[in-house]
Amino acid sequence: MNIAVTIFLVIGAFFTFVGALGVLRMPDVFGRLQASTCIATLGTINIVIAGVLYAASSDMSAGVIVKLVLFGLLVILTNPVSNHALCKAAYHMGIRPEKGFEPDDYAADFGAADDAENEVKEEA
Amino acid sequence: MNKNRFTDWLSTFILCFLFWLLLVFSLQPREILLGLIVSAIVAWVSCRFLIHESAFYLYNPVRFVLLLFYAVCIFLVELIKANVAMARIVLSPGLDGYKPGVIRIPAAKNIRSLYGLDMVANSITLTPGTITMEVAEDTQGDNYFYVQWASVEETDREKAGDIIKGRMENWIGRIWR
Amino acid sequence: MTALLIGAIIYVILDFALLYRIFRGPTAADRMCAADALDLTTATALVMYALYTGRAIYLDVGLVVALLGFVGTVFVSRYLEGRI
Repeated sequence: MNIAVTIFLVIGAFFTFVGALGVLRMPDVFGRLQASTCIATLGTINIVIAGVLYAASSDMSAGVIVKLVLFGLLVILTNPVSNHALCKAAYHMGIRPEKGFEPDDYAADFGAADDAENEVKEEA
Repeated sequence: MNKNRFTDWLSTFILCFLFWLLLVFSLQPREILLGLIVSAIVAWVSCRFLIHESAFYLYNPVRFVLLLFYAVCIFLVELIKANVAMARIVLSPGLDGYKPGVIRIPAAKNIRSLYGLDMVANSITLTPGTITMEVAEDTQGDNYFYVQWASVEETDREKAGDIIKGRMENWIGRIWR
Repeated sequence: MTALLIGAIIYVILDFALLYRIFRGPTAADRMCAADALDLTTATALVMYALYTGRAIYLDVGLVVALLGFVGTVFVSRYLEGRI
């Protein structure tokens, strides 16, 4: 049982590493948002599964297992909402990728093209 | 309207009370009394944000089993595939295949309710590589998602929708109307 | 079990990488994105530490940290969008 717990922990740590590396390496906000989804999905689910296995094998109370499952469920339910809000906020602030979006249907349909004029000055 | 308001409140109240019981995880009368009071207040405040269509729609065992099957079998496979693709992009030396774009994809015709559209949009956002920016309805009554895609492979909208949504939308169409 | 403690330490080290992005990020949206990810990793590290020590109080702390991070991110992004 300990081996299974360790395997799930290693997989979760690997995907969290990928997400953190993506947040560091990606060139713009949208790529960083996409990469940080890795942390919220497989990075958290694997830790929750490992925790449930560990708590079931070492005689912890049933409340611990229920709380772990609730933790995973809440993270899965709330993360897309915040990601969507942040992506839309970054778009309306006028941030665009370096080469621009290749097909940009949102600007074509909603007339948000004038947002891009007041571009945010990069202070780096 | 007044009668509807009461059923809205009741279904939200049951959901809140179940959630409270799971968090507290004890059956002492003190805890149960406090939970009843708190969930009544919370349901009174929040039922008009949560319930938009027929209440008690969620409390159907067949639908719940389908939801569980979708989450475990269908959605998890899509999630793992998308995560591996994202890991391949991030770990490659020059960020190969990172081509951002916003594309409009049509929703399925049989999904009309807000819950179904919300669930499709959340599933798209949870898979790494795609984020839903907007759900819009045109004058004919068809719904569209505006999806921000990290690696654009296909600019035709129908084919792009098939690639992005995969098998997820058919199953959501069976769960919600 | 020591693997849980090692996992928690790895998560805290990854937190520092995200903290670098918070200090460095060119725009406010970059900082908020990294802060959202940092919330999740901190909560997950707290969950692993709770399982290691066997004290269930850290589980509640992790739950509250994850939920408050969500509320904060939504509020700040609404502000950046100009809707508040």
